[in-house]
Amino acid sequence: MDLSNLTIKKIHEGLTDKKFSAFEITQEFLAYIEEKDRKINAYLRLTKDLALSQANQVDVWLAEKRELPILAGAPLAIKDNILIEGEPATAGSKILANYRAAYDATVIKKLKQAGAIFPGKTNLDEFAMGSSTENSAFKTTKNPCDLERVPGGSSGGSAAAVAADMAVAALGSDTGGSIRQPAGFCGVVGLKPTYGAVSRYGLIAMASSLDQIGPITKTVEDAKILFEAIKGRDALDSTSVDYDAVLEHSKEFSLEGIRKMKIGLPKEYFAGGLDKQTRLAIDEAIKLLKSLKIEFREISLPRTKYALSCYYIIMSAEVSANLARFDGIRYARIDADSRAKESEYMSENQRVNQPKSALEKIYFRQRGRGFGDEAKRRIILGTFVLSAGYYDAYYAKAQKVRRLIKKDFNKAFQEVDVILTPISPTPAFKIGEKVDDPLAMYLSDIFTVPVNLAGLPAISIPIKKYKRGDGELPVGFQLIGKPFRETDILGVGQYYEKLL
Amino acid sequence: MASEINKKTLEYLAELSRIELDERSEEKLLNDLQNILGYFEELKGVDTERVEPMAGGFRLAEDSLRPVEGGTIENNVFREDEENPKSRTQSSKLTDDLPQKENDYLKVPPVFE
Repeated sequence: MDLSNLTIKKIHEGLTDKKFSAFEITQEFLAYIEEKDRKINAYLRLTKDLALSQANQVDVWLAEKRELPILAGAPLAIKDNILIEGEPATAGSKILANYRAAYDATVIKKLKQAGAIFPGKTNLDEFAMGSSTENSAFKTTKNPCDLERVPGGSSGGSAAAVAADMAVAALGSDTGGSIRQPAGFCGVVGLKPTYGAVSRYGLIAMASSLDQIGPITKTVEDAKILFEAIKGRDALDSTSVDYDAVLEHSKEFSLEGIRKMKIGLPKEYFAGGLDKQTRLAIDEAIKLLKSLKIEFREISLPRTKYALSCYYIIMSAEVSANLARFDGIRYARIDADSRAKESEYMSENQRVNQPKSALEKIYFRQRGRGFGDEAKRRIILGTFVLSAGYYDAYYAKAQKVRRLIKKDFNKAFQEVDVILTPISPTPAFKIGEKVDDPLAMYLSDIFTVPVNLAGLPAISIPIKKYKRGDGELPVGFQLIGKPFRETDILGVGQYYEKLL
Repeated sequence: MASEINKKTLEYLAELSRIELDERSEEKLLNDLQNILGYFEELKGVDTERVEPMAGGFRLAEDSLRPVEGGTIENNVFREDEENPKSRTQSSKLTDDLPQKENDYLKVPPVFE
């Protein structure tokens, strides 16, 4: 069977038409992953037993002639910061190398009920901190379009798995672009829902006011299917919202509705520094959308240039608080019976800061060794911006700028319905290119972070591939919508897809 | 502002963060943080007079559960203080997976000297 043309919808049709069983398709995917992933490294581990038992369940439903939910039998790759009961969940960190989840994340619970199949957990930057998946403590994922390049991050494993047909779709998480940017780098679709649209219960927290779980798929139609399945109010996440109660219009979008829409092009996103081929490709996409008689308008989001600083201050502050729970004891596996050998500790001469007690000594060691460089950098940066004397200059200032960025969007949305922008300043960069320069790495998030600060929904959609070096690199565009109006960006995206 | 982080501050921050540092990683970290904080300087140029910090993002409309703008809901959420019938099985799932335990307690290395 050719796995490359499969979508959620096609698997559904194949199952209901009895072209294959869920067990067969799952086995086929698992065998293909074992072969293909040797080159890509998208998965951290496979969850074969779980996947095959889920497949059996779907086949029982089929035999009972039950009406199959649309996601039944669809193999979905799950980012390893999302909990599946009984399975390891490392968040890409050594400090969680031996942690096993005791419960299902709400999104996982919903997808299990819908009959989806989980072939495995995917690689990510440690605690979802990064833009290339190189910050994973376990392996380096390669971009399926060019093995010398990064898949983007932090949901690089999920995006690479979908792009290489090792899953029909995937779940990622997006704090500052971690779904949209890797989807863009790998040439697939990525949706970051409105803050509050999807429950975060069971997502290992990075920055709680910014994190959202969302789908990575091959088509906009599939993104819509997966989003519909995971959205909604959850008593276990107090920031989640009764989504259907906030919808102001019909769920389906008509061409008539699309034609009445106005799309804004913020001039700040198209200024110097944008890759030429990216610019050309976006012009082509705009031209196509104009053929639908959609009106385009230049708009301004004047505070865009401050979004990156604002984001890195707020995010690192929240990181320093969220990662305090990893004491290296509760979720780790340290030997209680024998004191760790003195040789395993950094010696006093090596250490520049000294623990003041035996307990601190354990924390210092476990956190010093358990966290990678980027996690340490952000924890310490966050501790700094929250500390007495600096709080007002950094954290409070950033929260004020955040409000202004949000205001810019509010104002723009009085004029237009949807905003179209690039996803990142360049296509996928080379492995190792930015890993030693954190600031250069952060700059690849410049077009995605404003959306998280403002809590808006946004989708990245591939346009085409350009030849570059030995590979072909995908280029895409981002559509940003009003809060809880995923329908708008999914609608425009679906009509765009039909034009191709 | 950028010069405000030096070796001494960094060592103190690492202590507050419960992270041990050696000299080599300290040097790189200090350099990275100075660069990043230098970049943050640009925020000084934003006029934030009379702007309230955005603690959360959206309030719920008075009359319904409808959010008025996107972001974190600023409403409190309460529930009845009652026993969760599942809490017993859930906590045993957690304690079952402890690396070493005595009764239902996590066993850790000695921490008192």
